Amino acid sequence: MKSKKLSEQIIKIFKSNGFVLSEPDVLLDSEYIIERSGENFKRSMLTFENEYGKEMCLRPDLTVASCIKFLEKKSKSKIYYSGQAYRRTDKKGSDLVNDQLGIEILGSKNQPQDDFKIIKTILNSAKSIKSKNIHIKVGDIGLFKRLINFLDMPERWKLRLIRHFWRPKYFEELLKRLEKNSDIDSVTFDTDKKRFFEMKKMEQEKVIAGRSISEILRRFDKKIKDPRSFNEGKKIVKIIRSFLKINCQLSKLDNKLQDFAKKNNLKKNIFKEFKSIQNLKKLNQEVKFITNFGRDIEYYTGIVFEIFSGTKEIARGGRYDDLLKSLGAKKDTPAVGAAINLNNI
Amino acid sequence: MKNLITIGLPSKGRLKDKAVAFFDDKGLKVLQSDKERNYFATIENKPNIKIIYLHAKEIIQRLGDGTLDIGISGLDLLAESEKNLQDKINIKQKLDFGSANLVVAVPDDWIDVQTIADLEEVAFDIRSKRNTRLRVATKYPNLTNNFLISKGVTQYKLISSLGATETYPFVGSSEIITDITSTGKTLNDNNLRVLKDGLILESKACLLFSKKSINKIKVLKI
Repeated sequence: MKSKKLSEQIIKIFKSNGFVLSEPDVLLDSEYIIERSGENFKRSMLTFENEYGKEMCLRPDLTVASCIKFLEKKSKSKIYYSGQAYRRTDKKGSDLVNDQLGIEILGSKNQPQDDFKIIKTILNSAKSIKSKNIHIKVGDIGLFKRLINFLDMPERWKLRLIRHFWRPKYFEELLKRLEKNSDIDSVTFDTDKKRFFEMKKMEQEKVIAGRSISEILRRFDKKIKDPRSFNEGKKIVKIIRSFLKINCQLSKLDNKLQDFAKKNNLKKNIFKEFKSIQNLKKLNQEVKFITNFGRDIEYYTGIVFEIFSGTKEIARGGRYDDLLKSLGAKKDTPAVGAAINLNNI
Repeated sequence: MKNLITIGLPSKGRLKDKAVAFFDDKGLKVLQSDKERNYFATIENKPNIKIIYLHAKEIIQRLGDGTLDIGISGLDLLAESEKNLQDKINIKQKLDFGSANLVVAVPDDWIDVQTIADLEEVAFDIRSKRNTRLRVATKYPNLTNNFLISKGVTQYKLISSLGATETYPFVGSSEIITDITSTGKTLNDNNLRVLKDGLILESKACLLFSKKSINKIKVLKI
């Protein structure tokens, strides 16, 4: 089999770079996955009820399955995997079964160094098989967050934009609302103020449907104080849109970002320190930086990249610092990983 | 009997009475069986029509598998059913009874939550502070899912409920609910409040045809 030989060749390179095999479980607890990925993800999962009525699913993704294995303390931190993932999509004719072959550094302590290690290893393995017209596209979710946090707008808008960055369609809806200064929530609170004062006198730790009275009142109070009318929307949306248009060779990125900051009267140092991206210059490869990139996967938090041979994507990956914690890690456990797309090799 | 037409009607309450009245008005007089609790009925001078009283949800299922040719049931139940079932059923007419709204409701005392935008924020709060998801109890998982996702709420988990969904937030089974309501009284009496933009679906009773039976039922002229 051709693909078997290819994977063996790739695995050899993974191993020589210090990655150790992890064999995550095929069957996972459905509830556990939904707890992390949300109810909507359920549509993509292949589930069944086991003999005790517990809902199980076939692993939808080897990154998540490897993280679970790691949290059970059954794998090393620098791992590779090779196996099948099972997922339904809306696309016609797409396979339920996907071969996945990838590497992860779980509990990544040195961010720039580990980011580079992952990209370099995955690039070398891809190149060992397909070396023509290799180029890389890269983005960094962290840069977007920094921009938003720097802009002058109500806190709730900042959080909304960051939360929905990975859902481009809904994000666009948000921008349109922001542009028109029409908050999705322009309700007055007068009617509830009376209840607010009544509730202030109640036992503050009392819980109503999972939320304590103090928690409810704190948010109510904050909402009143957060400015309702807000007139800079148009200007801010213009800045965000022009940021999302940045698309240039890595070598020109510094100038480009400086220009952008200057043009929009932003502080000069707003984008400093994105070492993981700068490091890519060492790859001696054509690298394109795109701000509007890597927005289809919820869990990425930092650098995201795709490696192409011609027009075909042959590998992709990125940093996902919050995933392990959301799967139940006790402390922050940053991570970074990438996978080869065998179908395109 | 050849060309036998089978009609499914709701077996209980106001919906049953109104459905029977609908056929009476069309000149199709429904004759109840002598036995009070019998689930079958007939139509005066129409020996080829059989009426069966069924649970409103069952009516949708049976229209889908072809055991019923015609049925009266709620739009909510049809819209909630799986797509391959819906594909087999035509809405012939929306009727002027059985009006009810499927809505998102939260506890009265969540005074900081008035809109779906608030809900979205609170859901993220719960997620980031406790690493759990906002739980939404419902008898309508499909409609609820589609609605919440389209409004930008992603951080939630559905809890399926069979009844008395209004109690769920207060016994620790969920935080909020979606449910069907016609007057809002049950929600109010259970200290729940509909969100200002929390309308998921306006439902009515509908006259439904099984697509397979379209030719057969033309003769009925309803």
